[in-house]
Amino acid sequence: MPLSILIWCPLAFAVVGAFASPRLTPRIVLGGSLITLGLAVYYLFAFDPHATGLQFLTDETWISVLGIHYKLGLDGLNLFLVALAALLSAAGIGAANLREWDRPRLFYFQFALAESAVLGAFCAQDLALFVVFFDLMLIPFYFLIGAWGGGPDRVRATMKLVIYTLVGSLFMLAAAIATGVLAGGQDHITFVLSELQKVPLSRGSQEWIFLFFAAAFLVKMPAFPLHGWMPDGYRAMPLPVLAVFSAVLSKVGAYGFLRIVLPLYPDAAVHFQTLLLLIALASILYGSIMAFTVTDARLVVGYSSVAQLGFITLGIFALNPQGAQGALLQMVNHGLVTAALFFIIALLARRAGGSEDIRDMGGIAFRAPVLAALFLIVALATLAMPGSANFVGEFYILLGVFNSKVAIAVIAFAGVVLASVYVLRAFIRTMHGRVGPKVESFDISLRDGLVLVPLVLVILALAVYPQLPLGRSETATKSSVRTAQAVANPPQRPGLVGPPTQQNAPQGTLPPQEQAPAP
Amino acid sequence: MSPTTWGWLVLVFPLLGLIVISLSWRRLPGRTAGYIGTSAIWLAFASAVGALVSLQGRVPADRQVTSTAFNYANSVGVDIKLTILIDPLAIWMMLIVTGVSGLIHLYSISYLGSDRGYARFFAYLNYFVFSMLLLVEAGNFAILIVGWAGVGAASYLLISFWYRRGTATEAGIKAFVINVIGDVGLVLGTYFIFKHTGTLDFLKTFDKAPDVFSSNEGDLVAGCVLLLVGAFAKSAQIPLHTWLPDAMEGPTPVSALIHAATMVTAGVYLIARMWPLFELAPSAEDVGAIFGCATLIMAATIALTQTDVKRVIAYSTMSQIGYMIMGVSVGAYSAGMFHLFTHAFFKALLFMAAGSLISAMAGEQSLDRMSGWRRALPFTFLSFMTGGLALSAVPPFSGFFSKDEILLFVGNLGGWHWALYVIGYIGALLTAIYTFRMIFRAFFGQPCEEAKELEQGHLAHAEPFNPQTGEKEDTDVGFPGPEHHIAERERPMRVAMYALAVGCVVDGLIQIPHVDNVVSNFLQPSFEASRYFGETEPDGLLIFGLALSSVLSIVGIAVAYRIWVQRPGTAARIRERFALPYRVLVNKYYWDEAYDAVIVRPLAAAGQFAQQTFERVVVDGLLVGGTTSVVRAGSATVRGLQNGFLRYYAALLLVGVAGVSLYFLLSSS
Amino acid sequence: MNVGWYLAVSALIFSAGAAGVLVRRNPLVILLCLELMLNAGNLALVAFSRMHGNADGQVFALIVMVVAACEVTIGLGLIVALYRRRLPIDVDELRELRG
Repeated sequence: MPLSILIWCPLAFAVVGAFASPRLTPRIVLGGSLITLGLAVYYLFAFDPHATGLQFLTDETWISVLGIHYKLGLDGLNLFLVALAALLSAAGIGAANLREWDRPRLFYFQFALAESAVLGAFCAQDLALFVVFFDLMLIPFYFLIGAWGGGPDRVRATMKLVIYTLVGSLFMLAAAIATGVLAGGQDHITFVLSELQKVPLSRGSQEWIFLFFAAAFLVKMPAFPLHGWMPDGYRAMPLPVLAVFSAVLSKVGAYGFLRIVLPLYPDAAVHFQTLLLLIALASILYGSIMAFTVTDARLVVGYSSVAQLGFITLGIFALNPQGAQGALLQMVNHGLVTAALFFIIALLARRAGGSEDIRDMGGIAFRAPVLAALFLIVALATLAMPGSANFVGEFYILLGVFNSKVAIAVIAFAGVVLASVYVLRAFIRTMHGRVGPKVESFDISLRDGLVLVPLVLVILALAVYPQLPLGRSETATKSSVRTAQAVANPPQRPGLVGPPTQQNAPQGTLPPQEQAPAP
Repeated sequence: MSPTTWGWLVLVFPLLGLIVISLSWRRLPGRTAGYIGTSAIWLAFASAVGALVSLQGRVPADRQVTSTAFNYANSVGVDIKLTILIDPLAIWMMLIVTGVSGLIHLYSISYLGSDRGYARFFAYLNYFVFSMLLLVEAGNFAILIVGWAGVGAASYLLISFWYRRGTATEAGIKAFVINVIGDVGLVLGTYFIFKHTGTLDFLKTFDKAPDVFSSNEGDLVAGCVLLLVGAFAKSAQIPLHTWLPDAMEGPTPVSALIHAATMVTAGVYLIARMWPLFELAPSAEDVGAIFGCATLIMAATIALTQTDVKRVIAYSTMSQIGYMIMGVSVGAYSAGMFHLFTHAFFKALLFMAAGSLISAMAGEQSLDRMSGWRRALPFTFLSFMTGGLALSAVPPFSGFFSKDEILLFVGNLGGWHWALYVIGYIGALLTAIYTFRMIFRAFFGQPCEEAKELEQGHLAHAEPFNPQTGEKEDTDVGFPGPEHHIAERERPMRVAMYALAVGCVVDGLIQIPHVDNVVSNFLQPSFEASRYFGETEPDGLLIFGLALSSVLSIVGIAVAYRIWVQRPGTAARIRERFALPYRVLVNKYYWDEAYDAVIVRPLAAAGQFAQQTFERVVVDGLLVGGTTSVVRAGSATVRGLQNGFLRYYAALLLVGVAGVSLYFLLSSS
Repeated sequence: MNVGWYLAVSALIFSAGAAGVLVRRNPLVILLCLELMLNAGNLALVAFSRMHGNADGQVFALIVMVVAACEVTIGLGLIVALYRRRLPIDVDELRELRG
């Protein structure tokens, strides 16, 4: 079955929904996303874990003059991210179904368009196509925030988000064009990733292209200190949209590093490894500290995401298979827990008189034991308690970093400790303690449960068997980091391969033993 | 059935108990949840016995069996599999954990009888036992860490079980965070070892260790010291001990099970399990011994001044675990495991008796308010006394044999270990004093008001309150339940305490030097390759130690009797005479204050700074503001061109077209 | 006859149209002048078509006529809409789109 069906299925249903009666639209779009989820699960199990290279390939020439292909494919890198995106979009649309929206047809159309674009970005195997999908997925979110968001600063937040992320995208566009042109030469421009990988760029151009891509992806994640759009944006977004936005879109950036940056610009990746590791470390520490200082529940999750994405970046730039495997697993885990946390925040706010400030909550657990239990499971997974898949992810990430830079791994462990502080603080302040003044607690309803419980079950299933994603992504992650790893650890054969600085050394200064005359 | 099949069964039963209780808690009538939870644990105990029988049926060389269920996270060279390792050491722990847990579950059936969170309590308790068993059966580092953190989480959940108490949730988060620090130590230590051995499996690691590590190699010492950090955090050793006294906020059966008998001894088990690594890193062994010794004396001195009955027992737990850590660190593995075993019995018994006492006081835990309970609670008194005698190491109670064995081993090593030996015996004297201080203050003297009421058949108190803060208890979450759940009235409590009391009397007899060596013989397959194993101590030292220990315990009890029974008021005089040491002790050497000043407050200040200054000025002002203002300035310039005059646009268009045409005309000619 | 003469006429008409667009403020007249410019283009197309001896230019001219018709329709519709809303019929007054 071609991947195009998977990608365009949500949009197709949304188009149908746009012409149906407004009462039916939510159900139609939900049906579309559920079918997409079914397809994604089908791919999950039809995937051959032992094969190398892309599977379920679609390869059509799109714009022949520019060498742009409509090339889609799945491998270990994107298989689970596609499933994650489908699952969380279905959950988000499901959560949106539980309440009424103004102009529902437009709302659901935007939502489904976002899903299609995200799936496209994950499946794209052509740099230009990736850029197209990457920008396409941002557009519906701008409208979703601007038109359906809340809060007094909505418009300002939207503007900030639009400008900040578009500037990032602009960098990426420039970098992508440069890659295609520089790698292909005058007559034969190509953007297909597998082709580009065969033509390594010169080190100088790799470096600036790398920085452009890194800027785009780090803004999207967001990483410290480029997270400035996050607080206002998160406060303004409607919660079902925010769940998808925060859980899935941030992963596209991290995924871009693994899919594009490491294979295409390995020299630059090695050159800037320490810089990126330090940014990741700063994200971890800063995000954690902010997460236990702020009191808006959304921002607690938002800043915790900054920290968690820091871990993911850390794993990617460990530049070894352990780190990359951990990063990939952690992307899936983090998506699951973040979405679940935002749904829980919506439920908590309804019990705390509409306030999303954790100071207004408290003592909710007593009348809502099931909700408390679900929250507890999600919270423990978020803080990466051993026994959860998040722990396995962090274990791999930190092991990878430990193998390349010990000091950074040791400092990053502070983030693990701080995570337990901010997660438990949020849990205790909302669920435990004395009942807050405005709190009117009641247990989770069946309808809300239909959204939240499947996510929690997936979290539990992954906790029991993280081998499922790890086993399937092993080959792909290895090949993703192979070139960078080879650059970082050149084979130990002095004289044949040496660091470039030695090759540029003046010819006259030969080592002493070579100057010695032959007997 | 093979030992590993039994081993899997041991894990399955508590897990099943947890699942059944948590899925059907709404429909379970009365005390059913308690019975389900308790029977799950006893089934696990029966399976552990099955594993024991099956393992003893093999030849000694063949008594280390592993079994792998499936690949848990096995990729890119990191071999994380769901593997269990059954050997005598694991069985020893399994039997202690399931046996003591079974009794404490039984006790809780009654003790928590009127609590609103009854089913939740047993679900957590079963989860705890499952995690603890996973910890002791783990066949590789990853599974060990999973169990390790699982017990930490269970401990957190149970400490803040009465979650509307602010003190309980604070104690819970403190315990959890310190335990996470321990987890981090454990994971980092694992990394250091994995880096060289390339495997996480225990048996393979131990096989490879002598080949890849030279003695006292830097990475190995770092790894072992980090493992010790894990052990210290879990076993409440200095400097990661501050959570344990606060953990007494939990229900008393929790204190008995988790914070005395089983979980806190996990550190001891860890060191014993990792002995092949520690013996290659003697410096790490010394670190363990010194910290264990420091903890044992420091906790004993603090226990002398505390007035909260549960906290006194908690400090005594820290002190006793100090003995065990010191023992296993210097190589006294079977002695350490033996003390772990006897300690589980007498400490669980002490906590159960204390629980009965506290319930009779309607939640009050201060020794200042208790007195003369001997007549009102005769059974509780007797069991407290038995536990106290065993703790004080009065012959022939169990603590006498096990504690001596550790100190004997330490003394026999000679050199600077003599210092540890002497401190160990000073600790023994202090143990007897603080234990009997507690007993004399609570049970002797004039009966207090509550005791008098209870003698007349008093049933319940009207207004329970939080003994820490004095604020009125929110009885919605149960505790402390206005009714008195005391051993004299509740058969399950009495049965459990009987069983433990009998254990306290007879346990010591299974390992008497030169008579029977059941423990060291049984554990031999696990430890026989150790260079310390089978070392025999000179008889002179043995007899000297036993005699000294008997004398010290008797003297300690006598001192306590003189101060708190014969001459009441002596204590106050001593307090005035030594005001400064007293203040230091009563404030627990100011550890909490130090941590608060060094870690908690700077972090909170950093958070405030980040939120109020950095975020606003740098992130929002400079970066976002910078980017957006560049874009805005650019767009303002372009906007100036859009003046809305149609004819102006037309002219621009015309000029543009003319310009382009002109260019082509000129360039073509 | 030389094609140059036709082109000269076409250029003349085009310039007249362009000048009209630029100087007049009445949208109706601007529309007329636009038509003039389009027809100047048509004239040039037909002249070239004649010169080259194939019909391509004439086809283009026909298409331009169709486009012109559409444009007039929309333009007149706009003017009628302006009139109905009682807005000033003056392009300098209608500058809602200024930035």
